[in-house]
Amino acid sequence: MKILVPIKRVADPDNANKVKVSADGTQVTTEGLEWKMNPFDEWALEAALRLTEDGAAKSRVGEVVLVSVGPKEAVATVREGLAKGAERGVIVEGNDNDLDSNVIAAALAAVAKKESPDLIVMGKQTVDGDSNVAGTVLADKLGWPIINYAMRIETSDDGKTFAIKRDLDVGVASVKVTGPVVITVSDSILHPESVKNGVTPADFKYPEAEGGRYASLKGIMQAKKKPIAEQTLSGLGVDAKRTVTYKKFELPPARSGQTTFVESVEELVEKLRTEAKVL
Amino acid sequence: MVEDKTTSFMRSLCMGEIEEDVLLPFPQMAESEQETLRDIASALSGLLGPREEDFRAWDREGEMPSDFIDELKEFGLFGLVIGEAFGGMGLGNMAYSRTLQEIARYDASVAVTVGAHSSIGMKGLLLYGTDEQKKRFLPELATGERVAAFCLTEPGSGSDAASITTTAVRDGDHWVLNGNKLWITNGGFARFFTVFAKTGDAEQRGHMSAFIVPRELEGVSTSAHEDKMGIRASSTTMVHFDDVRVPAENLLGEEGKGFKVAMHILNSGRTGLGGGSVGAMKKLIQLSTKQATERKQFGKPIAEYGLIKQKVGHMVVECYAAEAAVSMVAGLVDAGYEEYAVEAAISKVFTTEALWRTADEALQVAGGNGFMREFPYERVLRDCRINRIFEGTNDILRLFVALTAMNDVASQLKELSSTMKGLLNDPIKGFGVLSNYAMKHASLQTNLGRPKGRFTKLHPALSEEAEGFETATRQLALAVDRVLRKHGKNIIGKQFASRRLADIMIDLFVLACVLSRAHASIEANGEEGAMREIQIAHVFAGQARGRIRRNFRKIDNNDDELIKALADGAFEDGKFAWDTI
Ligand SMILES: Cc1cc2nc3c(=O)[nH]c(=O)nc-3n(C[C@H](O)[C@H](O)[C@H](O)COP(=O)(O)OP(=O)(O)OC[C@H]3O[C@@H](n4cnc5c(N)ncnc54)[C@H](O)[C@@H]3O)c2cc1C
Repeated sequence: MKILVPIKRVADPDNANKVKVSADGTQVTTEGLEWKMNPFDEWALEAALRLTEDGAAKSRVGEVVLVSVGPKEAVATVREGLAKGAERGVIVEGNDNDLDSNVIAAALAAVAKKESPDLIVMGKQTVDGDSNVAGTVLADKLGWPIINYAMRIETSDDGKTFAIKRDLDVGVASVKVTGPVVITVSDSILHPESVKNGVTPADFKYPEAEGGRYASLKGIMQAKKKPIAEQTLSGLGVDAKRTVTYKKFELPPARSGQTTFVESVEELVEKLRTEAKVL
Repeated sequence: MVEDKTTSFMRSLCMGEIEEDVLLPFPQMAESEQETLRDIASALSGLLGPREEDFRAWDREGEMPSDFIDELKEFGLFGLVIGEAFGGMGLGNMAYSRTLQEIARYDASVAVTVGAHSSIGMKGLLLYGTDEQKKRFLPELATGERVAAFCLTEPGSGSDAASITTTAVRDGDHWVLNGNKLWITNGGFARFFTVFAKTGDAEQRGHMSAFIVPRELEGVSTSAHEDKMGIRASSTTMVHFDDVRVPAENLLGEEGKGFKVAMHILNSGRTGLGGGSVGAMKKLIQLSTKQATERKQFGKPIAEYGLIKQKVGHMVVECYAAEAAVSMVAGLVDAGYEEYAVEAAISKVFTTEALWRTADEALQVAGGNGFMREFPYERVLRDCRINRIFEGTNDILRLFVALTAMNDVASQLKELSSTMKGLLNDPIKGFGVLSNYAMKHASLQTNLGRPKGRFTKLHPALSEEAEGFETATRQLALAVDRVLRKHGKNIIGKQFASRRLADIMIDLFVLACVLSRAHASIEANGEEGAMREIQIAHVFAGQARGRIRRNFRKIDNNDDELIKALADGAFEDGKFAWDTI
């Protein structure tokens, strides 16, 4: 099985207080930020790796191709994914300011056409833009089904059909779909038994780990030798333009940081209604 | 970088020469290596980050579970310094030291376990092993199938390593090993021991050799885990050798050169311990800033009070200086310098003591919480105390620093005195030696005609600090000369004087490293961008200047004899002699 996993480097959400807006409010400034892989993409990568390996024997049986659309520096993020086990990477160079979900989806669609994967597994959104649409737009451009918020994935014996449970606010939806398909994942995909691929023994349990697996030093060394192809938007024939333009950026007002303790649920509801005015 | 890799910055400094090209530019890892380190850091946070509770529990229990050690192996932590060809990562000294820094942020016991393997346990094989020995052992060492331990200390032989009594006697194709080694890190589960044993006659002091001893050889055994003050989860045991027949091909390095092997291993491994200490300091600074900004007393966060700022400010300066010194030494090793033993010893002494001060102050900032086991401060304090004792006590290392750094001056004086005696026999050569010495002396006194008396490449923003350094260098060279002429060979017994000179040398070397590091930052970020680092250099230079002046003053004007007499009195009484009742 071949799986395409789009990944993005984002400003480390743990250092979100370093995010600044330019004086004219036209953009978020990136100086001095620390970068890491979009956490939602880490979950997607974990799901893709589980789908393409024997988890018990720790051996790879399929291929995971990482693709990142963004600045050249994103190569470090791709390398990180390769260190965790993905086979190779593709970087489509683009300036973050020229990209939105539409352009990204078009670029990913172009790469998917070249690579013809069985699956595209991706994060449901990024922690910076928070648009939550790239997966759906990509599926639309490819004419593939989209399954959002997957929390369990089970492959059929022939590896073409997938039984998927979707994590919804109102409950869990079970669907069956035949690939190729675009899947976005929810955090429940990190559950120790979330993925059954017919290769990893059915009773195997993955260790609980926030954000999925971490690379080993061996993985880091191997990643240096794995190929990363460089592409450009024009080279891929992508002429999509931004459909979203940002009018203005503002930092949220500082929070008061005040904590009030209440004695009872009634009092809480009362305060939420009269003081916080959120109910 | 200078051509001659045998230059030692400190030995030259004692002659009054500032070999600035040894320390400038400040060593920096290649971009690709930095990227690898960032990956390692992020992988380590995955491996060790979620384990805080475990580390606390294992400290209590005094042991780490073998499952966890297996995880360290699988992760690849035992292959850090082993070449890729043998299945390791092939990290250079700087990258290795930086990796230990990262590990030590999480837990000192883990850092010591990994460090004892890579810094000393198997280092002898890397430095002195034959191709055949490397091929035989490195692959298993890299995977951790064989964890390594370094076996030098014995019940009767600690600082005086040359006095070991473990023996190796040649018997055909084998050496028969007998003896006991004390407090061996990783002893409990190591399967590769680098063992030092006497191979000469009983009278031949220090005639020893190094051996590779696999655990499975008959007669190798270990005792129970020691119950320790700190790094409690790391394994420390006795290792016994009972008629162990070691194949002759396991001799490591030349027969009889074991002492040199041991010292070379310890010297080149110092940046591991140094890196670990810096990592612990960074963690403490993080904890202290959080504590100080969150804890409120008298209506304000304690971070707003001067006495708290003073502590945290000093922590920052000390950490910067410690990291500068450790990185510098690691950089020297990577650049192929051969004479870095003095500089490495200085970095060990300074860094381990800076960590101790930082741990003490961080605990103070935390107040009563600092004393509670629920918080990490007391554990860090317990854990880091050993750093001043093992791999050479800081006291012994101070003597080593002073005596070794003064060596060149001593040889010059020796040549001078033999020349004085032989002046009539060989007047031409004699006058040459004499006038060289006289020239050096005159130029030190007058500060004229000294080609290497100054820093010429440092940024002007650091000129005040550089000048202070230059003045102290001149004073050092004159003091060394004076002390050596006064005591001659007896300097070895003059520990008060040696210690003062060592402390001056420690301050000067660390200051030079700080200046080099700040200079690099100015070059990269401009004066504005490097402002805080310039300030750090300013503060450190000021502190060092005060200590250096005091030490110089005390060389000639001190209470040494009184203090010795008081100690002798106490030894005689065997107790404190006074009471108020
Ligand atoms: C947790 C732990 C782990 C260790 N791991 C290892 C290991 O893996 N391998 C190994 O070989 N060893 C190991 N050691 C041993 C360690 O290296 C020694 O403890 C150290 O070298 C000091 O020796 P000692 O304890 O015998 O002290 P001593 O040598 O007895 O020294 C006692 C005091 O006297 C001072 N002193 C000694 N001689 C002089 C002198 N000439 N002039 C002035 N002062 C002097 C010392 O500085 C010290 O303050 C370990 C020790 C500990 C506690």
